[in-house]
Amino acid sequence: MDFDFSVVAFGFPILLRGLVNTVLFCTISLPAGLVLGSAVALLRLSHRRVARLPAAVFVEIIRDTPFLVQAFLLFYGLPAFGVRLSAATAGVLVLSVHSGAYFAEAIRGAILSVPKGQLEAARALGMPYLHAMRRIVFPQMLGYLLPALTNQIIGAIKDSAVLSVITAPELSMAAQMVLGESFSPVETYAMVATIYWALIAAVSAGLMRLEKRLFRSDAAVPRPDTPRLALSALETTAS
Amino acid sequence: MPTAIKVMVDAAPWLLQGAVMTLETSLLAIALGLPVGIALAVAQRARLRMLRGFVSVYISFARGTPLFIQIMLVFFVLPSLGFDIPRFCAGVIALSLNSGAYIAEMIRGGLTAIPKGQVEAARALSMPRSLMWRHIILPQVLALILPPLTVEFTGLLKGSALLAVIGIVELTRTGQQMVAATFKPLEIWLMVGIFYFVMCYALAALTRYLERTTQVYRAV
Repeated sequence: MDFDFSVVAFGFPILLRGLVNTVLFCTISLPAGLVLGSAVALLRLSHRRVARLPAAVFVEIIRDTPFLVQAFLLFYGLPAFGVRLSAATAGVLVLSVHSGAYFAEAIRGAILSVPKGQLEAARALGMPYLHAMRRIVFPQMLGYLLPALTNQIIGAIKDSAVLSVITAPELSMAAQMVLGESFSPVETYAMVATIYWALIAAVSAGLMRLEKRLFRSDAAVPRPDTPRLALSALETTAS
Repeated sequence: MPTAIKVMVDAAPWLLQGAVMTLETSLLAIALGLPVGIALAVAQRARLRMLRGFVSVYISFARGTPLFIQIMLVFFVLPSLGFDIPRFCAGVIALSLNSGAYIAEMIRGGLTAIPKGQVEAARALSMPRSLMWRHIILPQVLALILPPLTVEFTGLLKGSALLAVIGIVELTRTGQQMVAATFKPLEIWLMVGIFYFVMCYALAALTRYLERTTQVYRAV
């Protein structure tokens, strides 16, 4: 087997444009998934059955069916209701919903890792629920949340490769374009794999650094009596 | 809408055939992935530094690139290397190579649960490494990773949907064919989703059961 480097010269710029789109898809879908996931996680922890049940059903349905089938259902199934989405929109939507369910499980686990008494004490002092969640529970669950979230974020980036099947114009779609022109699948997919590998390595290294920065002190989890410290650390990293 | 229900019921026998194929493919993939994972985990502890380096690059690649791309790579690379294998084999190989990396990581996690004294005792008795692995470490680790292994199997079941792209007629590919035949994508994909859901939900129940029953080994 000879590795044809002219394919690299020809295909690499096209693949890089695909990479930009993949990054774009993820930068829209992941925050949307986080918002959805947080809402679903809170609903799953509600004491009202009416709130808990639909959230649990949603998570189970998403987690027990393949991403590809979800994408097909959304992209080809919605027109039956008169809703016609572009491949890109459908891709962003399905990636958001899919990652939302997985994020919800990670967030729920993180919330449960904080002793119940913390929230109860805050509520007893008259703090509104969401306020107590944000100021008391959230800073304490970060140590648990970040590693779990890192895994799910990487999973979502990998899932986004499947969106080429519904013709969303991301990196693996670009691969098919390069393939159609060059007829060199080995070179093309070797390049694509390398690009994904680099992207995911960069993302996980970045998230690991964030984690290290937040918990620079020897404590695995920020001390409960200094919840604002962790939050301010998060804010400085984000800006 | 009764016609929708009729479409779904009519599709069921074909989809059932596809589901059987999906199950077979995933079972084969995990059956092959387990030895790959064991080999990787053992090689990770080998004395040869090169071998350890290879394993960590392999695991990083398998976990750091999309399964979809790995399937395409195996599907196209093997023929260009001169191996003319049927697409079904290419698909199963891709799945098991991928899941081997995840299983190796599971085993690595399981190894930390084995008290160090057992390895030291085996060394003190000058037991050969191969015997130590076969008789002391692996039996305990395998019992330990049985529940996560079923989770991995569920992942393979869902991942095998991607094999539709290289033309293996499993559940998702059957779904595509049914859509082409009936022009009813909503009903067919709903039905396909239900088939996957039933399989994965049942497996999740099995996982919970195994978690309960293998607790004995965890108490060590």
